[in-house]
Amino acid sequence: MELSVEYIRIAAYLGAGISVGLGAITTGIGSGIIAGEGALGVMRQPKANDQLFRTMLIGQAAAQTAGIFALVISMLLIYGGFDITEGGWYRAAALLAAGLAMGIGAFGPSLGAGYSGGEACKSVARMPKHGNAIMGNMLIGQALSQTSAIFALVVALLLLYSVPNQPIGLSVGKILLKSISLIGAGMAIGLGTIGPGAGIGYVAGKANDMMGKFPKERSKIMRTMFLGAAVSESTAIYSLVVAFLLIFAV
Amino acid sequence: MTKKKSPILKIFIFFIIIETALVFVSSGFNKQLQIGFDDGKFVFRNIQSHYDLQEKITEEFQIDEYYRQNGETPKIYGSNKTYEFFKNIFGKTTAIGTFQLLRMLLIVDILLLFIALLIKKKLLKRPSQPQILFEMVYTALEQFVTETLGKEKVNFTPYIVTLFLFIWVSNMIGMIPIPGFMEPTRNLNVPLGLGILAVSIVHITAIKVKGVWGHLKNYVNPVKNPLFLLDIIGEISKVVSISFRLFGNILGGAIIITVVSSLVSYVVLPVGLILFFGLFVGTIQAFVFTMLALTYIGVEISE
Amino acid sequence: MDNITLAQGIVKAAALLGAGMCMGMGALGPGVGEGFVAGKACEGIARSPENASLITRTMLVGQAVSESTGIYSLVIALLLIFST
Repeated sequence: MELSVEYIRIAAYLGAGISVGLGAITTGIGSGIIAGEGALGVMRQPKANDQLFRTMLIGQAAAQTAGIFALVISMLLIYGGFDITEGGWYRAAALLAAGLAMGIGAFGPSLGAGYSGGEACKSVARMPKHGNAIMGNMLIGQALSQTSAIFALVVALLLLYSVPNQPIGLSVGKILLKSISLIGAGMAIGLGTIGPGAGIGYVAGKANDMMGKFPKERSKIMRTMFLGAAVSESTAIYSLVVAFLLIFAV
Repeated sequence: MTKKKSPILKIFIFFIIIETALVFVSSGFNKQLQIGFDDGKFVFRNIQSHYDLQEKITEEFQIDEYYRQNGETPKIYGSNKTYEFFKNIFGKTTAIGTFQLLRMLLIVDILLLFIALLIKKKLLKRPSQPQILFEMVYTALEQFVTETLGKEKVNFTPYIVTLFLFIWVSNMIGMIPIPGFMEPTRNLNVPLGLGILAVSIVHITAIKVKGVWGHLKNYVNPVKNPLFLLDIIGEISKVVSISFRLFGNILGGAIIITVVSSLVSYVVLPVGLILFFGLFVGTIQAFVFTMLALTYIGVEISE
Repeated sequence: MDNITLAQGIVKAAALLGAGMCMGMGALGPGVGEGFVAGKACEGIARSPENASLITRTMLVGQAVSESTGIYSLVIALLLIFST
């Protein structure tokens, strides 16, 4: 059962649309939360205007990382030379799955990073004196919550670049099995990063909030944030393991 | 804010310069990226084809598979004799990856030993800057140990510091852009071994403190704990999560760096990515692994 | 395993897709829940820093318990991949 090149191209374009379309949803929401909290902060503390503005912009830029990952994947799908490659059903399924993985995978991390940045803006408005420390903590927290988006990006890149061509002369059942398992890998890591991303974002947001209220306990709060975020990440890691198994071991 | 630059900032700036230079030199300014209009259509692609990158990823991350497909004699051994030797020990398919791993582990060990001897030779009352750095690391971790386990269990500090320094240096060493250099933690065997070690130490300590039966009754007492089988699965999942966390983060960073640097032809972005994944993610993962290994002990012996 | 019939292929493919969906959706709840625990622990440590090690311990145990549904998903996913 061979597949013409047009179908691979269809899968690539469909994957590109899914990736950036789904990935843009919560990226927008997250950036909006930060901007809203920033505006409220300016209302409460007009003197700290500059610092709040800076925190807001940097926070929004960091919260959009997952959206940028989705954009990169869709650019690769459109312009990455997949219109000339062959590879049969395996390639088509892998391209669609890469789009799915990164598109859905951007959901949680950007929401979490948005919450974290919003709380940081609130904190800066409350304690402009400790603005730099809060901003540093905000960046670290957002980077932690983007870790699960990075897992989704890794699986998407592996689906793009490490799936072999479909060998000639396989039975229909085998082809179906392998193609569906690739889509399953994309779904596993995509859905699996939503919860951890949002959860780590909540941790980082609470840490930012408390850093504005109790600036003296900075090191203890950061330590708890690291530990808690790392443990909340473990389900994303289980999803990564399952996705690797579905790509390489089936 | 003081006007004077702090030593850490100086080290950081120095590091960025070195890293940039090394990446430029190692890439040889290759221009493989094609951006522009071709035939009325916007083109953004490597001149090297999709298959080149695929082959590169296979060579970088599944080196055994790569040599099995190509069927050539592996270059990294230097001579056929060493290859035969390793092939006899580990078997043909896993010999290459194992050799690479052992070489990197040896480099990390020698580096750590060298630093330790160097610091030990020059121990001063008024410490030099490297000594201050290492004393800072030691005191901070010692404080964590006393906070978590109590004052009488401070003898866990050397174990914790060793674990931290080993994982940290392992994560850092991949930042050196020499072909063939890789983080030992990128290979699943190393994090899995460390994870099994850490969880074993947790249980050994618990048995030492509470006695064999005192520890085991949490797991095999169906009256008190009807879901005891799930607790055993939970213990196994501790190993899985602690080791796969390290492995996944480091491997993910390595894959992203390889793909992105191949796509943008080694210009600017890889330096930032290498610094992010090497310094930031590497340090955080080393810290998290150590702290989890420590807190698991604390949870077990406190009940 | 290269030459299987269409029916066998469909069954196995369903199991694999099921494994992916199982782990993906199963990671949703525990992720948010553990994040909530850790967030509240941050708050608690900021409010009473002298109880830091107690709070950390409670946080880790609570997270281990709320992670158990994620572990069930992992077990089911592995069973679906390797034993069907």
